[in-house]
Amino acid sequence: MSKPALYLSAASTISHQPTFGNPGFSAALGPVEASSALISPDYKAYIDAGLLRRMSKILRMSVACAKDCVGQAGIGQPDAIVVGTGLGCLQDTEKFLNTSLTVEGLLPPTSFIQSTHNTMAGQISLSLGNHGYNMTHTQNTLSFEHALLDASMLLREGDRHVLVGAADEHIDILDDIAGRLAFKSDAPLTSGASFFMLSAENQGNAKASLADVYTSGGAGYGQEEIDAFLDRNGLQPGDIDLLLYAGTPAAGVPVQDAKRSLDYLSLIGVYPTASAFALHYAMDLLGANSEVRNVLICNTLRKSNLGLTLLKAVEA
Amino acid sequence: MDSLKEDLKKQIIEQLNLEDLTVADIADDALLFNDQGLGLDSIDALELIVLLEKYHGIQLTNPEEGKEAFKSVDTMAAYIRKRKAA
Amino acid sequence: MGVCITGIGVVSAIGMSVNENLNALREGRTGIGPLHYLQGTKASLAGEVKASNDELRAALGVGTEYVSRTSLLGLQAAREAWGDNKRSGVIRTGLISATSVGGMDRSEVFYKDYLAQNNPDYQLLTTHDSGSTTERIAKELGITGYINTLSTACSSGVNAIMLGARLILQGTLDRVLVGGSDALSGFTIDGFRSLMIYDDQWCRPFDDSRAGLNLGEGAGFLLLEGEKSLELTGNSPICNVSGWANAADAYHQTASSPDGKGATLAIENAIRRAGIGLDQISYVNAHGTGTKNNDHSESVALQNVFGDRVPPFSSTKAFTGHTLAAAGAIEAVFSVLAIQHNLIFPNLNYRAPIAETGLVPATQLETGVEVHAVLSNSFGFGGNNSSLVLTKYE
Repeated sequence: MSKPALYLSAASTISHQPTFGNPGFSAALGPVEASSALISPDYKAYIDAGLLRRMSKILRMSVACAKDCVGQAGIGQPDAIVVGTGLGCLQDTEKFLNTSLTVEGLLPPTSFIQSTHNTMAGQISLSLGNHGYNMTHTQNTLSFEHALLDASMLLREGDRHVLVGAADEHIDILDDIAGRLAFKSDAPLTSGASFFMLSAENQGNAKASLADVYTSGGAGYGQEEIDAFLDRNGLQPGDIDLLLYAGTPAAGVPVQDAKRSLDYLSLIGVYPTASAFALHYAMDLLGANSEVRNVLICNTLRKSNLGLTLLKAVEA
Repeated sequence: MDSLKEDLKKQIIEQLNLEDLTVADIADDALLFNDQGLGLDSIDALELIVLLEKYHGIQLTNPEEGKEAFKSVDTMAAYIRKRKAA
Repeated sequence: MGVCITGIGVVSAIGMSVNENLNALREGRTGIGPLHYLQGTKASLAGEVKASNDELRAALGVGTEYVSRTSLLGLQAAREAWGDNKRSGVIRTGLISATSVGGMDRSEVFYKDYLAQNNPDYQLLTTHDSGSTTERIAKELGITGYINTLSTACSSGVNAIMLGARLILQGTLDRVLVGGSDALSGFTIDGFRSLMIYDDQWCRPFDDSRAGLNLGEGAGFLLLEGEKSLELTGNSPICNVSGWANAADAYHQTASSPDGKGATLAIENAIRRAGIGLDQISYVNAHGTGTKNNDHSESVALQNVFGDRVPPFSSTKAFTGHTLAAAGAIEAVFSVLAIQHNLIFPNLNYRAPIAETGLVPATQLETGVEVHAVLSNSFGFGGNNSSLVLTKYE
């Protein structure tokens, strides 16, 4: 079943790499260093000081990216805001958990309020004054793909522009936990947020077209699922100009025969919604390199979960 | 200089993460919950209740009671003195 | 034909099954009381499910200890809603759950030991993330493919139902098990206490003297099927999911706007989506948490939409406590029961109308009425407002 294409007109990423306010970054991006830190813009340029003073890392990243994205798209108010997050607001969650277990008297409420997963989407709606559909998906490593799928459905239901994105934040205890639970990765654990404007029509500023999104959980994916996805989009593996995949030692390269393959975790590090960065990377590359027509993002960060996102160059 | 008021200002800045402000920026009679003053909101009001208990040992269980007490640094200081004297 | 509900399941402070919940609702019997299973919290009253984790695991046949109470409660309700349905290679089936705390009940056990450097069990954290609570339920039921979790605080459960209905209408899925689950935890009890909206006494929704909420726990699940699935399963529809809407209040991080803007939008849009008149709503299952702010704002929203003809309404939270992400799903199950049995449930513990709005909820069980359509509201933190309209299947 072929669905009408959707268009990506704006993207914004804050990460451990020079991705923010830096179009064309994909050309010069090297591997992310284990010693790297989050590269933060001047948040005051994007966020009201009264809100900013309370915000944790994930909230600052998310609201700044969302605002930047809305500005780039030049559409005023999106019809909906859809966010994916794997682990949510860890900094505030840990802070309140600590307070709750150690403080005897009255407890300061701010970190509790900001511990809920929908704080990003809520703060974005507050910052934009947006009264539209406001949703938060949290399905582990597929949280972003689920958000993208929801956004796509909204556009088919009649919305014109949806702000969709994902964010996850690193806190120190994660390194300890990853070690204890024997999580193996060549790339470091990092933080990142990416937001996009997804639209039903190309208003002349589309950077890429979103052809299809697919998620599958619980089964341990098979090659036939990837083949079926390509097939329903009329493609063979050899038609993929660039495969962006989550290079965990367990997963390997999930699609053979793509013209070029690149492990996106090596560029951005590991966080549950790192595939949102891969989407931005693909958009950036499609805007700059006319040789690249089809990009497949294959998210196998977790073995039991498969996320597939197909991007195409915008037809001239 | 009233040291209780100076202490309160320091505590408010810390408790509410008012990173851009210094003690000198907060006038004794500035309205805390007015946009022309500090522009605080209802979450801050709860944080101020925590502040009263943490630094001054005063329990305020009804947030409504805080409305009068938290008008300004002046009224907070007066409220603390009244409760301590009682 | 639209989207049909063919199965329901619920577990809450007032019962371990649909029947037990229905009986308690009929008899006006609350499940809110002192905590028995969750120890060491500062809550004097809460709506606790009357079973320990070990009892739940034994009843559900879950072997591992590395499972959150949120998953166990969810599985209990999901199994009941799923019933005797079979997996199918032809019927594309999904699972959407909603949770706000995920595996926090296990994480706080870990973190306590971690802080005390008392040999913390890191394996407990494998159940922390909200997605894993749903993955566990899917695994136990043998559902694979579209598995998703929503987390929008107290409106999550309604949002899961809404997303499921949309997936069916768009032809992405043929049937989908939707619902929500949340377990009580020290974290959330302390959280609502820090907001000074946890009532140490029994909560009093829509009463002028209301002083806050009591937390509860539980899960609700509903099996939604589209036309193709119904043909293949032969299941009998109980109700239709006819209308839904989500809107942002964009007013404040925790408080609802005094003019009820987001809530008004959600209610209006859900009824419009259902394509029925305002006068066709037979009953409103209100969010009605018992906090000063919510009940006032929700009353204003009801008056904004219905004017002086507000339908019979009640909050069932004085029965169950506020079950957060599960609330919208549990109350959707109650709404199905209202339609199925032509009932309007009483708003327990009500004495006097809120002075500013004067609205009077239903206070007695109504049995002699035709309940054709029910509006169910769920409003959450971050100004996340959702409404659902369920109608009798005809």
